[in-house]
Amino acid sequence: MTVPDLPPPTGAPVVPAADPGPAVPGPVAGPPVPGGTGQWQRQSPRMLLVHPVRILGSFAVPLLLAMFGVGRGDDGGPWWLLVAAAGAVIAVLAGVASWFITRFRFTDEQLQLRTGLLSRRILTAPLDRVRSVDVESSPLHRVLGLAKVKVGTGVDSTRIELDGVSREQATELRTFLLRRTSEENAAPGPDDATLRPGDQPAGPADASGTPYPQAEAELARIDWSWLRYAPFSLSSLVVVAGAVGVLSQVGDDLPVDQVEVAQDAWAWVVAQAVLVLLAMVAVAVVVGWVVVSTVTYVLTWWNLRVVREGQGNLRITRGLLTTHSQTVERAKVRGARMGEPFLLRLVRGAELTAIATGVGSGGTVKVLPPAPRQVVTDVGHELLEETGALTMELTGHGPRARRRIHLRHQWGTLVVAGLLAVPTWLTDAWWFDRLPGWGPVAVLVVLGALNAVVADSAWRNLGHGLTERHLVVQTGAFVRTREVLEVAGVIGWVVQQSFFQRRRDLCDLVATTAAGPEQVTAPDIPVDAAVRLARRATPGMLDDLLA
Amino acid sequence: MSAAPTSATEPQAAGMPHGRLREPAHRVSPRAVRYWTVNSLIGGVVTWAVLFAVAWFLPEGRWWSTALVWLFVVVMAVNVVEVVLEPAIRFRRTRWEVTGARVFVQTGWLSRDQRIAPLSRVQTVDTHRGAVMRLYGLANITVTTASAAGPITIPCLDSDLADRVTADLARITGQARGDAT
Repeated sequence: MTVPDLPPPTGAPVVPAADPGPAVPGPVAGPPVPGGTGQWQRQSPRMLLVHPVRILGSFAVPLLLAMFGVGRGDDGGPWWLLVAAAGAVIAVLAGVASWFITRFRFTDEQLQLRTGLLSRRILTAPLDRVRSVDVESSPLHRVLGLAKVKVGTGVDSTRIELDGVSREQATELRTFLLRRTSEENAAPGPDDATLRPGDQPAGPADASGTPYPQAEAELARIDWSWLRYAPFSLSSLVVVAGAVGVLSQVGDDLPVDQVEVAQDAWAWVVAQAVLVLLAMVAVAVVVGWVVVSTVTYVLTWWNLRVVREGQGNLRITRGLLTTHSQTVERAKVRGARMGEPFLLRLVRGAELTAIATGVGSGGTVKVLPPAPRQVVTDVGHELLEETGALTMELTGHGPRARRRIHLRHQWGTLVVAGLLAVPTWLTDAWWFDRLPGWGPVAVLVVLGALNAVVADSAWRNLGHGLTERHLVVQTGAFVRTREVLEVAGVIGWVVQQSFFQRRRDLCDLVATTAAGPEQVTAPDIPVDAAVRLARRATPGMLDDLLA
Repeated sequence: MSAAPTSATEPQAAGMPHGRLREPAHRVSPRAVRYWTVNSLIGGVVTWAVLFAVAWFLPEGRWWSTALVWLFVVVMAVNVVEVVLEPAIRFRRTRWEVTGARVFVQTGWLSRDQRIAPLSRVQTVDTHRGAVMRLYGLANITVTTASAAGPITIPCLDSDLADRVTADLARITGQARGDAT
């Protein structure tokens, strides 16, 4: 390649998505393309039923409001019927139009999806870059025997969605799309592991190179005794808090003040038993929390199976009402993340997420629900194809990091106490003179103690480590998170030092990667430890860049 | 099981004599100092104007308007520091290097950011010239990788040099295959 042939420096991809050169070893003679090559295909006609229902669903709230609004009017009558009918007609028409317009086809190299009524769009995915295929069926889809297929590539973070293919076709597509990729990788061709001059990983190289002709193996299956961990996951608390908020809104809207009996009852309750009421609310919240979390757990994780397929790809199927089947190419599973929220830690539980490339935005795939820690580490090690990363002792970041973390956590204390001290002690304006003089001191002490506890927990959880193939970083105060990243997936390093970190000779070491959240950060690590870690993780990448 | 905080500050192991990254070799164009000064000046003048205008209309004698005025004074002082001190310090601390098929860049004036990316993992190479930058004949080069956390900007290079570096980088990265993930 000579210089005049270069693309202009405009930001066009320098590594073209479809390299026409000898890099691509010709079209792979894979299995026959479902539906034939080059033919534009429509979604299943059964989608004509799904679209109106779904659109009606999205119209439901405004429609209901309209009905109520119109229905409450004095002239009442057939108005709301008209509104409803108009809504239904619009929904059906839009559904038909959408079905009519959306088409997809397979060429030899690409999957193409054509959508859009006014602005027509064609989305493409190069077939040799398909990294993940998700098959999802909502209850409505399942009644009609349909599925939604999401295809993720390593090229783009958005995924192509084929909604409304039949379930058999979806399975066929999944095998077709991923078998193609694995054959491509098995061929001695443009395997990206062989093309990194600067950063050959220590030990066995990228897993994608090795053949994996094995029988399908099950890594994990839902065990309903894990259900006891459901209430300890924090996410359900958020749900319950939201529900309580909504209920209290509704409670405000109830016309209680119009009913004198209720008002009297309320007054009596307030007068007699505020404590009882509070206890009841607390019990209601706790019961609601347990119920919601358990139901969510069952709905989400019903029939969970984590399977390593014959070619090494990872497949996760789950779901009671909406079923999910996620398949990720083996080489693109770049690591794992074990999360231990505070409550879950108390009962020795943990959650497991896979970190991968080309699985859509976020780059993570939930693998295990809150489950016993032992199970999580075992399955995690199967996932990483290496034992130790999730159980190993980590290296802490030392006393300087501890001082730094404590100081940083106390900034908030100082600011809050200061903000309170100014009006309390310096001004007499408004109602500020009524603030007690000991207020700022009390805030300083209480908040300071709380922050000290949090900071120390953050420091104790902090640590890093390195196995033969993986970089391990653990962080977090309330939610302890251990991130494990394959060193072959590290595509660069960033050493960040704030002004204060420079004074203590600490830094934030960031390993950049294409997988998952696209970075793994070891915060407040001593600079020499950071450099040592980076050198051992990616031999060669830091050579002659050292002082 | 918590990470046992064994010490990470033990004396360095033998055979690992290097405990930190060195600075990259090249400085940016000396004209960058003037560009940064002008840039901060524009921002500073706008801020001063806005703050003066607000302060003009603040009511007299209220405790909170006095507090606000003091806050404004602090902001303005910071602006002055940004115009007078920052560009020179930033010039001394901003360095870049392309060596051994890697891009290595250091930025920041109070903080410090050192970024390293092997060219085999580079996806795009952009040059950018803002309006004021063009007056001074400067250009930024931004090198992106497959990670959103990994873009590397070499700021304020001499325009001609930037073109040459971009062409070189594009040539080298164009030879790498695979999807650079």
